[in-house]
Amino acid sequence: MSFSDLLLQQTINGLSLGAMYSLLALGFTLVYGILELINFAHFNVFMVGSFIGMWTLQLLGINGQAVVMTGLPLIGVMLLALLVTMVLSGALGVVIERLSLRPLRNVKGPAAMITTIGVSYVLFNIILLTVGADSKNYPNPLPPVQWAIGDAVLRLREVLIWAIAVLLMVALHFFVQRSRMGKAMRATAQDPEAARMMGVEVDRIIIIAFFLGSALAGAGGLIFGLYYNFTSFIIGFTAGLRAFTAAVLGGIGNVPGAMLGGVIIGLIEAMGGQFIATAWTDVIIFSILVLVLVFRPAGLLGRVAPNKS
Amino acid sequence: MINHPITRRTAVGLAAGVAVVAAAFIQPVRAADKSVTVGLDLSLTGADAESAKRVEYGAMMAFDEANTKGGVNGYKIVVTPYDDGSATAGQYDPAQAATNARKMVSDKATVAAIGPQMSGAGKAMAPILSEGDLATITPSSTNPDITDPKFAAQYRPEGKAIYFRTVATDAFQGPYMANYYADVLHVKTVYILDDSGAYGVGLADAFQGQAEKKGIKVIGRDRLDPKAADYSAVLTKIKSLAPEAIYYGGVLQAGVKLAKQAYDIVPKMIKGGGDGVQGPEMLSAVGYPANEGWYATVASPHVTEDAKMAEWVKTYKDKYHVDPDDYAVTAYDAATVILAAIGQVTAGGKAPTRDAVRDAIQAVKVSTLQGPVAFDANGDLQDKTISVFQIKQDKSLPPDDMRQYHYIGVAPSA
Repeated sequence: MSFSDLLLQQTINGLSLGAMYSLLALGFTLVYGILELINFAHFNVFMVGSFIGMWTLQLLGINGQAVVMTGLPLIGVMLLALLVTMVLSGALGVVIERLSLRPLRNVKGPAAMITTIGVSYVLFNIILLTVGADSKNYPNPLPPVQWAIGDAVLRLREVLIWAIAVLLMVALHFFVQRSRMGKAMRATAQDPEAARMMGVEVDRIIIIAFFLGSALAGAGGLIFGLYYNFTSFIIGFTAGLRAFTAAVLGGIGNVPGAMLGGVIIGLIEAMGGQFIATAWTDVIIFSILVLVLVFRPAGLLGRVAPNKS
Repeated sequence: MINHPITRRTAVGLAAGVAVVAAAFIQPVRAADKSVTVGLDLSLTGADAESAKRVEYGAMMAFDEANTKGGVNGYKIVVTPYDDGSATAGQYDPAQAATNARKMVSDKATVAAIGPQMSGAGKAMAPILSEGDLATITPSSTNPDITDPKFAAQYRPEGKAIYFRTVATDAFQGPYMANYYADVLHVKTVYILDDSGAYGVGLADAFQGQAEKKGIKVIGRDRLDPKAADYSAVLTKIKSLAPEAIYYGGVLQAGVKLAKQAYDIVPKMIKGGGDGVQGPEMLSAVGYPANEGWYATVASPHVTEDAKMAEWVKTYKDKYHVDPDDYAVTAYDAATVILAAIGQVTAGGKAPTRDAVRDAIQAVKVSTLQGPVAFDANGDLQDKTISVFQIKQDKSLPPDDMRQYHYIGVAPSA
């Protein structure tokens, strides 16, 4: 394997990871942008999302990697699985907001954040106790298509991950920047009080932020399963922590920042594994985070947070 | 309606009445119902839960058999289960294991224990068990340090061996597999990975030492984070270095993901590991064909397919509805040893004490399913056999049947 092929292969690996981290980071950023709340339940909404995706695919008759589909049925199954996963994960986010966070809306201090940690553990243990601790083989109808670029290999599932991630991110970007609802969201993010006075229903905006963030986490979970052919109750923490780092790195509250942060973390992970050692991945990622925050406390693209003055 | 205020006297009367009624329901402890407690510590939560269940069933089967026969010299065996796996660790958790060891030691009725399943747990438990003078027999933890006299101050500060095994150790499992790589598979270059756990690092080190002696070139060594999901970076690096084989020291939390991704990135490479990759999840969660071709070892003789074991295997399957693996057998054997020791101690009508049971285990010579068992002064098994397996799908068997691990033979000892 030549050095350039190796570099290309690690870039492909890193971008795939980055796509997943970005989807997950968007959820942190959306909620933070509006509530200034770090939502740790997000870690495990992602994990539950991957299980919802798994069950949906299994209901569609796909078991392990034995069933391979192509063409229209494949697209249909994928879209259906993605839709169901996103809607149900989004609904889960809304339920979490409604049951555990809204009652704390006006409580000052870290109470809400601590609550999200609690909710995270509740989700984690529900899955652990109901589906068990063993890793699950993920149903995957994708054909094992791949293309060789020199010695590097680009697989269909990588292309698919990028496509889904980019589509969702572009859709989110347009939603936030162009739609009426998006405008209301940005208004709430800037100044919730003023937005309320202008007739924006802040509660509704918060629900939408939770729905969108959780739906994206669900999509991330489904993609995770399809990419690694496995899921387990424990996947939320490592992925969630790195995605959270991505959000902070890019500038928390900042939608393009979350995407950029995710891609950077993914690439660091891949290149670090190649040129340093896999064992050092976390050290490298978090050292870079510390360095960035020391020199640019607001993250690479600057942070967007509600004006609480 | 007459409303009596509750006076102190009526309250006492009521309480006495309740106590009498309650006593009628609770079986009084009669002299004939003598019992001793055996602790059982396994990693029932997390990635190794499936294997843990099989080990648990193996031990329980032996104790149940003894109890249906009326116990040992009139003593019923009560098993207290402990789980050293934790949800946050996702596998065995040394901190939880230490807590369990303390609980076992402080329960006066506990005279011996079985477990732990994992070496990382064993390292945490051994010093506590030593202080409590409580002997344990592990059916599957293979890290050699725990019983190595070099580390006696650390793992048995009280001096006497308290950590016995019905399996061989990684001091044999790793090197014998290196011999197998060199002499049978004719591997010249290898890349070694471990999962950063006590067992995984120790096994990989032991393999590496012998591999180098055997003239295998170790091209690289890397450590996997068992909680990370993605190993494509290190596997791509391995692909670029193109060794002939990979050896993985570790358990299934990282193993499952490694096997899946290795199949995508380096499908043709020879891949193998120790008993950590010998478990049902390697079959069910990795799936075929990704797991095919993987070599695994077991640090005990392979007996579950012996003709004379057929009846035992059938009883086990009928009772627990899963196939026993070799560590179900070693767990049964560990229970057999404990039963023999308790039997010997209580033969003269004496009450069993921890100390006496430990001494009896130390001196035991008993025939078990895997053959005769006797321990050396450190608690290690005198007979050391490493069995080699390879996963090859047999479509006539269920996909998660442990017989999908085809028994190849005993690994060369030199």
